[in-house]
Amino acid sequence: MRFEILLTALLFFGGTCLTGYAVRRLLKLKKEGIVCSIVVGALCWWALMELILVPMTMKLASFSSFVVVYSAAAMLFALAGLFCWRDILDDLKTFAENWKQYLTLGHLAALLLIVFELWFLHHHMYLEWDDTYYVNLANVAISSDRIYWVYPETGTLVDFDKRYVLSLWPIFYAWLSKLTGVAATVMAHTIMPWLMIPLAYMVYILIGKRLFEDNVQLQGMFLAFAVLVHLYMSGEHTTGLSFLTITPWVGKGILAAIILPALFYWLLRAMRDGGARNWIMLGVTGLGGCLTSSMGIMLTPLFVGIAVFLLTLQKRQIRYLAYGILSCLPCILLGLYYIRLTH
Amino acid sequence: MQEFLEIAKTDFLATFEGAWMLPLLLLSCALILWKEPDRTRKVLLGALPLAAMIVYWLPPTGMLLMKLLGENVYWRVLWLILIAVTVPYALCLLLRKCSGLRRQAAFLACLALVVLCGTPLLTSEEFLDSANEYKIPQYVIDVCELLPENIHAMVSNRLMPYIRQYDTSITLEFARNDYRYLNPGEADDDEVGQMYLEVQKSEIDLSVLAPTAKAEGCTFLVFSSTRTYIGEWEDYGYEKYASTEDFDIFVDMDYEEGQDTRKWED
Repeated sequence: MRFEILLTALLFFGGTCLTGYAVRRLLKLKKEGIVCSIVVGALCWWALMELILVPMTMKLASFSSFVVVYSAAAMLFALAGLFCWRDILDDLKTFAENWKQYLTLGHLAALLLIVFELWFLHHHMYLEWDDTYYVNLANVAISSDRIYWVYPETGTLVDFDKRYVLSLWPIFYAWLSKLTGVAATVMAHTIMPWLMIPLAYMVYILIGKRLFEDNVQLQGMFLAFAVLVHLYMSGEHTTGLSFLTITPWVGKGILAAIILPALFYWLLRAMRDGGARNWIMLGVTGLGGCLTSSMGIMLTPLFVGIAVFLLTLQKRQIRYLAYGILSCLPCILLGLYYIRLTH
Repeated sequence: MQEFLEIAKTDFLATFEGAWMLPLLLLSCALILWKEPDRTRKVLLGALPLAAMIVYWLPPTGMLLMKLLGENVYWRVLWLILIAVTVPYALCLLLRKCSGLRRQAAFLACLALVVLCGTPLLTSEEFLDSANEYKIPQYVIDVCELLPENIHAMVSNRLMPYIRQYDTSITLEFARNDYRYLNPGEADDDEVGQMYLEVQKSEIDLSVLAPTAKAEGCTFLVFSSTRTYIGEWEDYGYEKYASTEDFDIFVDMDYEEGQDTRKWED
């Protein structure tokens, strides 16, 4: 299993990192480091998947044709990233020169906590009641070559459950399963934690870097606190944060632990740097959020809406509200469609 | 309105009850609003969580959101409060004032504070030792290893949620979300409903179960080995196929090895 975990991690982090470099070049997000590339790449992969998957699902396309189209699109982005080799070398060089400054008590504590969390999850299992629907949705896509035609719990041929048709997150790990040849259940329960937990904390690394630009020690402490809050949050079955630890393969956990903090990160940047790139990434993140959960379609514009409303009041500039609405446009459109489907 | 407040209160308590995370969060917001010099950060880190809480509790916004999201999942609005950003930032604001060894010591004290205010997630009884790489109960795999592929089965409730996570070529007569499963007390008039209710009993009457099971194409029946039966399986066209430590498997006597008996998939 170690080989499969390593292979999938290499595919996921390698692919998203290269994609991130390509997108960063496109948006002129310079000197942001490898972690930023991985996060940007992952968010772009998910947004891209939402753009491809929803129409293909509606058109009753086969799962294998989705795998071909999506793999080609993701590979195209990753290949474009290879052309940014100078940026990659620059970031690697900067990291090689500065890595010692990250040897702080905070970083060490955070690393120990993350490693312990991963070790614990690798040796334990959490029997999630909803897996019989979601994980089987991935299993069925692979075995039947159909996206969402089969009721995952029994194997019945059914019409779409309209609540989920716009947010087929399990197809993401079905795709990874197809590429690596690992069963979707194993992918979800055993391999996804190794991808999603580090990715979630990478978002917190980026937030910490923004909040304490001049103080690496505090960056480490911020990260350690963030990890610890995840591990000690109350409300095991209702808190979004706890989903990252108990079920890191579930879309709503990804929404709460990766997408919403990432939205916060882009808002933080947008307020500091201005420029369209941060708002564009905010929109990309929101679209990625729509893939993870139908809640993402609603909660993403709500989160951005509340934030930009407050910022507009504080800055007394209406343009923040306009930018916020524009960046949420894909979510708003999907949201209206969702309401039409479900009400 | 009363109903909204009731649901909002229940969900809010379910999220924050049994720990001190809410006071820690509110104190963090207050500290950020008081001490943070940057006004934008004040808004994003201090005011935003409070605004999200207001949106959650305010009846006009709350009722609208409850209608859009659904009553059962209204608690997810609380995810808009980024506790893992606000609390760490507030603690770091405190630490920023110290330096050297004093900061390290204060950092350790703050870690302890978070631990004391929260509830440890990893010690939850719901985490079980991993028995296999699928991370599903081993008894499920033991049963699946004995069952042939491409069959239609009716299985024990204990197996129902997991069996297709191991082998999707098995179609199931009942789903986990079957209304009879969710509402076990509900009487059901049709024969399939009667069959479902019958297999919930510790002593199963084969004259109720078997004819309907056969008519519905259930080639394999898997029940807990603690179950007893009224009647002989052979009299109803079924025979014992195999057993595991926890379950007995019965097969339709008309079934031929390798036969595809799946009910719905092509």
